[in-house]
Amino acid sequence: MSPLSIAAALLAALVAQTTLVSVFPGGDRAVDLVLVVVLLTATGRGPAAGLWTGTVGGLLQDALSGGVLGVGGLTKTVAGVVAGAGMQSILGTGWRRLAVVFAASVGNTLFYAGVYALVNVQGPAATATLVVGQALVNTSVAALVMGGAQAWPGLVDRVRRRRQAGRHGWKAA
Amino acid sequence: MERDQRFGYVVLSVVLMHVLLISAQVNAKPEATVFQAVTVGVFSEIQGWVTATRDGVAAVWSAYAGLRRVHTENIALNRDLSSLRVELQHQRALAQQTRRLERLLALRERVAPSTVGARVIASDATPYFRTLTIDRGVNDAVRPDLAVIGADGVVGRVTHTLGGEAAQIQLLVDRNAAAGALIERTRASGVVLGTDDVSMLRMDYVSNLKDVVVGDRVVSSGSDGIYPKGFPIGHVTHVAQGVGLYRVIEVEPAVEFTEIEEVLVIVDPVAEVVEAGGE
Repeated sequence: MSPLSIAAALLAALVAQTTLVSVFPGGDRAVDLVLVVVLLTATGRGPAAGLWTGTVGGLLQDALSGGVLGVGGLTKTVAGVVAGAGMQSILGTGWRRLAVVFAASVGNTLFYAGVYALVNVQGPAATATLVVGQALVNTSVAALVMGGAQAWPGLVDRVRRRRQAGRHGWKAA
Repeated sequence: MERDQRFGYVVLSVVLMHVLLISAQVNAKPEATVFQAVTVGVFSEIQGWVTATRDGVAAVWSAYAGLRRVHTENIALNRDLSSLRVELQHQRALAQQTRRLERLLALRERVAPSTVGARVIASDATPYFRTLTIDRGVNDAVRPDLAVIGADGVVGRVTHTLGGEAAQIQLLVDRNAAAGALIERTRASGVVLGTDDVSMLRMDYVSNLKDVVVGDRVVSSGSDGIYPKGFPIGHVTHVAQGVGLYRVIEVEPAVEFTEIEEVLVIVDPVAEVVEAGGE
């Protein structure tokens, strides 16, 4: 993933989070698309990419929300670095990557609620339902994105071959 | 090794920057920063476009699924109904006010509040707060702490204006939101607080000695200086004797907070003119 495509993914996640997610009942509570982008970037490209994606994504998300500017930036920066470093130490893909996404998602929500408690502003109540539920949905979205990314080259190749076969068949006829 | 150490310093610097940024805001007056205004300014264009496309797709689908003519008529009727319901709320508030004041042999005339209609273009970017972005800002005389109402009652208040064409509103169901409220039947006053649950509000500071029953209508009291008096907030769904001085009251909001598309911002709060009678 190039820096440009990461930026595009962050932008798409922010726009979708603020406009499309609320279409689904309870959707705005259940998923954090920016966090999904941060964690996928961190687990795919390492802690440095996680750091910058987390900082930029978190700060933009803070600016578009009713919270304190910097809290999301701080928690997503830490989540990105920890997830990236965790992935490097595990050295795995697939399920292991999803496990890191799940753990980092849980940690991010708890850290977010903790920072709000520290600054004495009412933030999210870190109930087990919210923390685990959101982590499960985030991980499911990450799994879908990973599956889509894996299937994409094969799909493009198949379409190209079918087109080529159709063209040759037309010439032969 | 040296590279790891350098990366560690970068992480530390970024974390420190965030901590300083948060610290600067903790005891400061909540105002939109330049960064927020610019970000929302840029994003509101895209969000407005995506929301319009989303609504357009939804409308096409809806029109396709139903009878097109009936659907169009229904939209027009609903629009009329919404404005009439807002008018009705205002008239109702006026009537109550008048009845009470007449009893005190005072005659008071109220001027209808001046409002600006706004379209919701985005919801909160995080899953943790209940805010909306609307497509009206400073250019339309929208400013912080103005009340926002919908066809069914109180929606929330403006927290930040984000440039000329956008503002952020905090919904009444946000855990940091509150409004002065009255039990309409008994005039028992209290404070309605958001619980983060879109289908439930809490009403605090109503004395255990006051008469409150399930089904009682809760309206704004005007005591907070933001929400005009008499607008519906919801109705009581649960009431119990509290352990301290106050009752435990749950209120179901009058507004369906998950389906807000258009709102009215009260840009000029109700003007009151005393014509006769003394206070």
